[in-house]
Amino acid sequence: MKKNWLIGGLAGVLALAGVAFVQGGGAEGEAEGGGVQPIAFPHNLHAGSEEGQANMNCQFCHFSAERSVDAGIPPVSTCWGCHQVIPGRNAPEEVLKIEEHMESGEPIPWVRIYKISDHAHFPHMRHIAAGLQCQQCHGEVQTMGVLTERDPVWGGANMGWCIDCHRQPNEQGVQQASTDCAVCHY
Amino acid sequence: MSRDLAERHDGILRRDFLKVVGVTGAGATIAGCSTQDVERLLPYVTAPEEITPGVATWYTTVCRGCAAECGMWVRTREGRAIKVEGNPTHPVSQGGLCGRGHATLQHLYNPDRFHGPMIREGDVFRQGTWDEAERLLAARLQRGRNPQNAVDGGSVLFIGGHTGPTMSRLIGEFVAALGGVRVDYDAVTDAPMLEAARIAYGVESVPRYDIGAARLLVSFGYDFVDSGASPVEHNKGLARMSGVNDESHAKGRFVFLGPRLSLTGLNADEWIPIRPGSEAAVALGIASAIATPDAAGPYANLLQAYSPAAAAEAAGVSEEAILALAERFRTEGPSLAMGPGAGAHHRNATAANLAVMILNHVAGNVGRTVFYEAGSSAVASRMGDLQGAIASMSAGDVGVVLVHGTNPAYSLPATAGFREAFAQVPFKVSFASAMDETAALADLILPDQHFLEAWGDSAPRPGVMAIQQPVMSPVSLFDSKHSGDVMLAVMRLAVPATPPAAATFYEYLRTAHAATDDAAWRQALRTGSVGATEASTTAPALRAPDRALSFDLPTFDGSGDLTLVVHPSSRFGGGEFSNSPWMQELPDPVSKIVWHSWAEIHPTAAAARGLVNGDIVTLSSPHGAVEVPVWLYPGIREDAIALAMGAGHTSMGRYADGHGVNALDLLPGTAEQPSGAMVTVATTVTLEPTGRRMRHATVDGSAGDQHDRPIAPAVQLSLLGAEAEAAEEEHGELMELQAGGGFIPVPAEDGSPASFPLPGARYGEYANAHEGPRWAMAIDLDKCTGCSACVTACQAENNVPWTGEDQVRMGRDMAWIRIERYYEHVDATQASDLDIRFLPMLCQHCNNAPCEPVCPVFATYHTPEGVNAQIYNRCVGTRYCANNCPYKVRVFNWYRYTDAVPEPLNWQWNPDVTVRDNGVMEKCSFCMQRIREAENRAALEDQRPVRDGEIVPACEQSCPAEAIVFGNIRDPNARVTQVVASERTYRVLDAIINTQPAVNYLRKVTFHEVAAGEH
Repeated sequence: MKKNWLIGGLAGVLALAGVAFVQGGGAEGEAEGGGVQPIAFPHNLHAGSEEGQANMNCQFCHFSAERSVDAGIPPVSTCWGCHQVIPGRNAPEEVLKIEEHMESGEPIPWVRIYKISDHAHFPHMRHIAAGLQCQQCHGEVQTMGVLTERDPVWGGANMGWCIDCHRQPNEQGVQQASTDCAVCHY
Repeated sequence: MSRDLAERHDGILRRDFLKVVGVTGAGATIAGCSTQDVERLLPYVTAPEEITPGVATWYTTVCRGCAAECGMWVRTREGRAIKVEGNPTHPVSQGGLCGRGHATLQHLYNPDRFHGPMIREGDVFRQGTWDEAERLLAARLQRGRNPQNAVDGGSVLFIGGHTGPTMSRLIGEFVAALGGVRVDYDAVTDAPMLEAARIAYGVESVPRYDIGAARLLVSFGYDFVDSGASPVEHNKGLARMSGVNDESHAKGRFVFLGPRLSLTGLNADEWIPIRPGSEAAVALGIASAIATPDAAGPYANLLQAYSPAAAAEAAGVSEEAILALAERFRTEGPSLAMGPGAGAHHRNATAANLAVMILNHVAGNVGRTVFYEAGSSAVASRMGDLQGAIASMSAGDVGVVLVHGTNPAYSLPATAGFREAFAQVPFKVSFASAMDETAALADLILPDQHFLEAWGDSAPRPGVMAIQQPVMSPVSLFDSKHSGDVMLAVMRLAVPATPPAAATFYEYLRTAHAATDDAAWRQALRTGSVGATEASTTAPALRAPDRALSFDLPTFDGSGDLTLVVHPSSRFGGGEFSNSPWMQELPDPVSKIVWHSWAEIHPTAAAARGLVNGDIVTLSSPHGAVEVPVWLYPGIREDAIALAMGAGHTSMGRYADGHGVNALDLLPGTAEQPSGAMVTVATTVTLEPTGRRMRHATVDGSAGDQHDRPIAPAVQLSLLGAEAEAAEEEHGELMELQAGGGFIPVPAEDGSPASFPLPGARYGEYANAHEGPRWAMAIDLDKCTGCSACVTACQAENNVPWTGEDQVRMGRDMAWIRIERYYEHVDATQASDLDIRFLPMLCQHCNNAPCEPVCPVFATYHTPEGVNAQIYNRCVGTRYCANNCPYKVRVFNWYRYTDAVPEPLNWQWNPDVTVRDNGVMEKCSFCMQRIREAENRAALEDQRPVRDGEIVPACEQSCPAEAIVFGNIRDPNARVTQVVASERTYRVLDAIINTQPAVNYLRKVTFHEVAAGEH
């Protein structure tokens, strides 16, 4: 009996998942899978260079990208460092949430947008050191509002995306990065 | 565990699963890429300055796994300790860590730790708050202090285990403030050695041994690699002494005397299988042969009374053997004799230790290889003291008993009566951080912090101080509190008139080290220790004994025909490590058995009783009986039988309970006199077959036999440096296979490991294979002691799961490195050369690898850097590679073993290593993550090349014997290249099947001729 339940359940889940996909991406403000970012953080207002945008360097917040495998999600105190004097023009109620998190000591439960599989290791610092721009993998984040879904390139990308770049010749005309499996998979 | 897994996975049959997938296949394919659970990223609220996400932060601290107090480096990631390593700058341990040291991490993340203070209500415990628990204890202590109190009566008794000097001082003040009595007790101690040192030299400390300085090492049943006062330091000393110098060909000799070969004994060059209890007679017999009685000062009469003949008579060996050993003492100095340890504590163990000290004295070893210095903090506790405490508990004189850092309800023989006496005390308090047999009887449990969460200090040796600093915040699931802080709080409540000066234990500790200024303190936190160890070379005079001692053979209880030898386990110690699945699944270095108990019996003795391996027998002594399977072992006398301590727990946790039997159940509840040590070799047993049989859960595939394969060859010392005769031995069965077309080797006479893969190798033609580094390893089998620390280190570093007893029986152990153990020559009937070979076997990273061409999906292949890589996400689980591996180093995930790892044990996982799923093959990666880490670091630092020694695999880092070297074999200056240049270098099976391994072994060196037929 128990077995049949499991089989039925599995079939149902897979079928529903297919339907959900066919009906298209999430609604506005919703990350895939139904997650909504806890704070409507606009990347464009912070990192964009248009009029009225702050033109901040990505690594101001993603502070460990040049020295660690992880780019780093900024601690709440980084947000608060500026926002305790900048109330926010467009959505002050969102900025107030930062203060709430500072006071409660609870981390902000960001919905993860960029994810690389557990069996692949991506050292951010090597790519920064090689002179790559964040946008080459993450897309033009500085033009995006609330990140709600994966950026068009990375979101559906698989290993071919990595390999294409690794195979490019460098100035000396040789492959610029290793395509050895064990460079990333171990 | 395996049964649970089997059920879970049998829930859906594979065929049904495929049907379902077939029906919904289209949906699944489309949905596969986009449908995922929402994953959350939780940043810090305020980031700690020293933490960079993705970068390890290292801390120094002190290992509290045993009283040796080795220096430790702890690797933390995002605030969690994930790996412990030996601190090479520590003056005592000098790098390296034993398996138990690694397993302390599993105590930190022990899923059976208490979630808060536990207060007994009837038959069950209720979780309380710290405030409530401390008030309760203070109130009971105030009542307990009043002897007139009609309800509770009696005084306060504190039973403590080994701890650091400052914590020990606080305990002293705590007990004094409450007018109580303090007793220290640890199951495994060197108390007779300590007492003998006091009698002989007036020094209240176990001797310090410099094994590395000796040329002749003689152990009278002192298992210094298994347990003893400082296993890592002594293991290193043994390797430095007995490992041959490839230039001078100097090599020290190690002779082991005792009824049973422990792990320590298996490393000896010669075994004299003396009768249990005859150590004193042999030591004095040798002393009488090498010195005039006057040399022994006040013991001249004793020396006169003994002779080699008398020694031979007592020991049951030939007089020639004793004389030959005495001759070695005269000619092969400096010598060093070590007295009986915890695995040989018979009723005259103090006298035996004293006799060994007299031998050292007359051989001129004091001040050269053995040193007597006061002030060492080595274990000094005595079971004898505890017996007095048991008596007062039984008499109702104790109102409150507190137990800290020890578990006497388990680690005392049942006949000592601890449980019954303890139960009579009105209020019983335990400081255990997780349930154990003593805590299970308590009324109040105040869970202590783990040492990786807490402050403390250590004084492993006079002049050396090392600080134990917390390396992470206490594990948040468990509301634990430093026992020092609890005692300070309780003192403030219970004796408000004279509160302690310090508010916290850290304050107390810092005040105790007030002489160390802040700069020096910070420096000590960085390096791990203060001070160095300077040995005194003065030889103190022997003092006349202040009490009567018997040097005769001790008495043994009962009339059984087998003498029982109970010894500490090299995996569990006295039982403290039994709830670690790493230790449970680490093959015992001697028997290679996991998870269950076994009784060692000589094959001849077994045959005489009609017993075969795995026959379950009832062992009965006058003090108790246990049922245990026998394991046939040629390294034990025919009149002895041996059991290891540490198994048979009843309430210690999910991994300890119900596994094996408690050997102490067979022992008398009396102590050795005058040291007060628990006697471990004191009774005979009778053996009664039950008629049942079980299959050992063992990884010893070929039962100690190389089966005509040159896996672990040896070379005689006198042949080193001689013209190497290239007479390749003919390996019967393999030659037949070759004649039939199998194993056709490529001629590789002039191939050096640096030029692998050789031209003509069929597999291994890869891009740029002859450029860049070529990673390789060298393992010196003359240094390897088989201690198996590397096995646990590898398991910790690489997220290698444990699988459980039943899975191991099916051959599904997952270790990436194992220690093979082969008997070449072992004779339990007479003194003779001993030849046991240990060989750490890991993926050989063959440059002509049999596994690579058979993989249909290229999941295993050779990297240009010479590593045989295994790509988990490519692997589809055909297992062809494992079938084709001649070294049996590939292991398969039959289940998702990591699913069975409970919170928070999985907090230990290394985030740099993929956690493998079921259906995937895995094996040693040469610690690829460490190679990448070093490469990344080098690349960021001006694209410099990786330096030699910058990449240290977990096995090499852990090896106390310094037997493993890793590096780039293309670099002529690399240490690995220099080591591999030794004439002893060979590669396992390479000469026959031409696999061109990257792992090079250096032959073991024997003093005796390596007989034909032996390799």
